[in-house]
Amino acid sequence: MISEIVEQRIKAAESAPPIQLEGIARDFFDGKVLRRVLKKLDLEIFAGELTIIAGPSGSGKTTLLTIMGFLLQPSEGRIFIQGREVTRFSSNRLATLRMQKIGFVFQQSVLVPALTVIDNILLPSAIQGRSVPRAVKARARELLEMLGLRDYVDAMPQQLSLGQQQRVSIVRALINDPPLLLCDEPTSALDAESSAIVLDTLKRLSLEPTRAVVLVTHDPRVFPFADRLVKIEDGAVIYDSRQGRQGVPTS
Amino acid sequence: MRRKTGFRILTHDRSTTAGSVLGVVAIVFLVGQQLAIMFGLFTYMSVLVDHSGADIWVLTKDVDEVNSSGSLPVRYVDRIAGLREVEWVEPLILGGGSFRSREGKYQPVQMVGLPRPRLENGPWRFDEGSLQVLLDSEGATVDSLDLKVLGYPGLLEFYEVSGRRIRISAITRNIRGFGGTIIFTNIEKAREVSGLPPGRCSHIILKVRPEAEVSAVASAIRTLLPRTAVLTSPQLAASTRLFYILNTGIGSSFGFSVIIGALVGVVIITLTMYTSVLNHRRDYAVLQAIGARKRDILVVVFWQALIVGLIGVFVGFLFLAGFIAGTRNGQLPTNMPLWFPPLHAAITLVLCLLGSTQAMRKAVKVEPASVFR
Repeated sequence: MISEIVEQRIKAAESAPPIQLEGIARDFFDGKVLRRVLKKLDLEIFAGELTIIAGPSGSGKTTLLTIMGFLLQPSEGRIFIQGREVTRFSSNRLATLRMQKIGFVFQQSVLVPALTVIDNILLPSAIQGRSVPRAVKARARELLEMLGLRDYVDAMPQQLSLGQQQRVSIVRALINDPPLLLCDEPTSALDAESSAIVLDTLKRLSLEPTRAVVLVTHDPRVFPFADRLVKIEDGAVIYDSRQGRQGVPTS
Repeated sequence: MRRKTGFRILTHDRSTTAGSVLGVVAIVFLVGQQLAIMFGLFTYMSVLVDHSGADIWVLTKDVDEVNSSGSLPVRYVDRIAGLREVEWVEPLILGGGSFRSREGKYQPVQMVGLPRPRLENGPWRFDEGSLQVLLDSEGATVDSLDLKVLGYPGLLEFYEVSGRRIRISAITRNIRGFGGTIIFTNIEKAREVSGLPPGRCSHIILKVRPEAEVSAVASAIRTLLPRTAVLTSPQLAASTRLFYILNTGIGSSFGFSVIIGALVGVVIITLTMYTSVLNHRRDYAVLQAIGARKRDILVVVFWQALIVGLIGVFVGFLFLAGFIAGTRNGQLPTNMPLWFPPLHAAITLVLCLLGSTQAMRKAVKVEPASVFR
């Protein structure tokens, strides 16, 4: 009986959107004026899709991504991860949630330069002091091979090109098999060839039915890779291709 | 992985790590060196008591350090000898004199006069000669450490101390008092030099039979000789050290040096560990972004501090051992009791961790959101 309930809950969690934002607002005080950067924004991200959040500089897209990754608390609103509200979680619980549910790919590959490629990749699995299971090590090697980095397992990040470093970041983001991958302009520092490899990889990953990929960019050349395009301007959604309508700022 | 990350950040940032290690080495060496000299001076202060072989010392009333005793009647020796628990008892004369070198220069010395034939409380290490030379009425010793200040006196040659003739019959090795040069001779010669009249001595020392209790015998002597100070050897050694620490400023001087040495080390550790965290703040932001809790970040920096501390303690003790070995036969007194190194290492590690607290606070306060900037 109990196992049935647990199973039902697991199924419900898996079928719920990986992340759901309800009325999210964020204010910043610049020393003189309180500025509202995000204006009570609602957004649901669905698994099996590559969602691109686009907008000009200062539109609030990176702030939105930061809030989605629990690296910044919203001033207002609620956040749900797989149907479960996490807005009031403590910083420690949010850290664990980040480790388990979210993978990050940053604008520039931010690998720890003191660690080898494999250690960088295993960090999210071991940073809370647990030992790394064999299966995770095997998965790391599998992912490295998949992204053409098999020969760089023990290399230091400085020995890799920027494109290779970014691919290592992707492997690191995937190591705990998170349902949500958040990417902040992952191709902005890369040449055309490396950009294509990275975008192809992200597109392939988004096809998995249990994973959502969110990519923030202001580069329109990336838009063709999107399953869904969300445009943000002045802290509000002005276009969402899934709903096919213009969003209206609520405040 | 947290330990490994901490260690790798240390090895990656070698110059900053070297700075932190230097801070720990500074604490170990500067504090250790000052305390080793202080412990060395402690042994000088009570050298005659520590090596006397006596259990109890009798001095003039109200005296609390070995060199200040005045004049006691030698007949007290016979009264003490009457106690059943006493194995042997001897009078002793400690007095000041002025040694005249071959060139006619004068050097203040401390004369230690031992009664013949037992020669208790005599010198215990010799470079040349032996204790028996003091059986000679003019026989005396000088120490190898003092040969230079005494103008390199020749063995078996005659010299003057306060106008009295002595013959240098033996050379002791590394026996020195807090007051400087010690010359051992027989009690009659010491009496001549110090000017004590016949029938008087400055100290009485005694050995208690093995089956007797020293404190009980000391109490019995206090009752027997109420106008004297009766102290066990450990009591006299401790009170002599305390006297010099409190009355010569040596305690505050060494205390100040030790505090400065520790402060210098802590400041170096604080600055370099803080710099290391600043250099790696993006790494700490990444660690937090990918799931590190604040306590995980603390563990990473804590391990760095601990590794720096352990390396610094090891290197610092190597330097300290070199320093102590280098001064073993020199003018500078050094001594390191066995209990001191582990205590010093433990305190240094604690100071190292304290010095790292600013770095820990900074690392924990790094905003994980900064990885997006």
